[in-house]
Amino acid sequence: MIEFLANHTPTLTHWLVLCALLFCIGLYGVLTRRNAIGILMSIEIMLDAGAINFVAFNYFNARDTVDGQIMAIFIIAVAAAEAVIAMAIFVALYRYRGTVDVNEMDSLRDES
Amino acid sequence: MMTEAAQTVVFYILAASVLGLSIAVVRVRRLLRAAVALMVMLTASAALYVLLGAEFLAGVQVLVYVGGIVVLIVFAIMLTRSSDLLEDVPSNLRRLMGVCVSSGFALIACGIVLTSHFPLSPSAVAPEDDSRAIGKALLDYGPNGYVLPFEIISLLLLAAAVGAIVIARRTPPSAQPFTSGGDLPPEAPHVISLSQRDKRQER
Repeated sequence: MIEFLANHTPTLTHWLVLCALLFCIGLYGVLTRRNAIGILMSIEIMLDAGAINFVAFNYFNARDTVDGQIMAIFIIAVAAAEAVIAMAIFVALYRYRGTVDVNEMDSLRDES
Repeated sequence: MMTEAAQTVVFYILAASVLGLSIAVVRVRRLLRAAVALMVMLTASAALYVLLGAEFLAGVQVLVYVGGIVVLIVFAIMLTRSSDLLEDVPSNLRRLMGVCVSSGFALIACGIVLTSHFPLSPSAVAPEDDSRAIGKALLDYGPNGYVLPFEIISLLLLAAAVGAIVIARRTPPSAQPFTSGGDLPPEAPHVISLSQRDKRQER
């Protein structure tokens, strides 16, 4: 049993498949959520999948450098900036429209 | 050998929990519960980083994501009162289209990953100290350094902070530069009325 497990350590393919599935779950959330904050949370899942991808490539392909980890740090920083701006926009939006439902956000559409 | 076996077991446990929790994030109707699931899912992915030998990154993930972004999301949920109202269930057509698009993308991505061959170089030795190597690379001026992106990211964070304040500000001064004399909605003035102000002073 232990021998079987030791011979089946996760390879790069396992990690990439995991990240692809995670990304697709986030994509599903973006497409089906109606609340804008729910969409933001789904986008965070997608960003996290991308960051894990970078670190996995770093670990399996270039272990003597830290380039992939630095890319992941940049992704995390950009996600933080994005979350700050998104929260400000949602609060302003709620103040004007009373809702953050993205189906209601159609003021650019010609009503007549 | 025990280490490899433990690594395999931990990887599958963490992968299953991350996938399940992220499904909970996109499916749960109450947004606050989704935020809590997101928090646990990000912690589990920090554990995945540890499994990949990136301890510093795991710490950053817990600090920034779990401690910062999720708290910000919870703030946004509270401020927009999204927790009071149940999010209405997406229509069946919408759900079907979401499943089609995301499973199609998953099929294509997994097919590409499984059929392509990645040249591996597992013989390389990882740097002794993770955080030291990251710090050196971030402040390196050389061709492999990241000092320019590092500075740009700090500028981006500053711009994001200032922009968030400008966007979410409640009562802009009328003579504020770069705004058109206040952007309050005309029918809902957010100035505290005189009577309320008096009550507040009495308290």
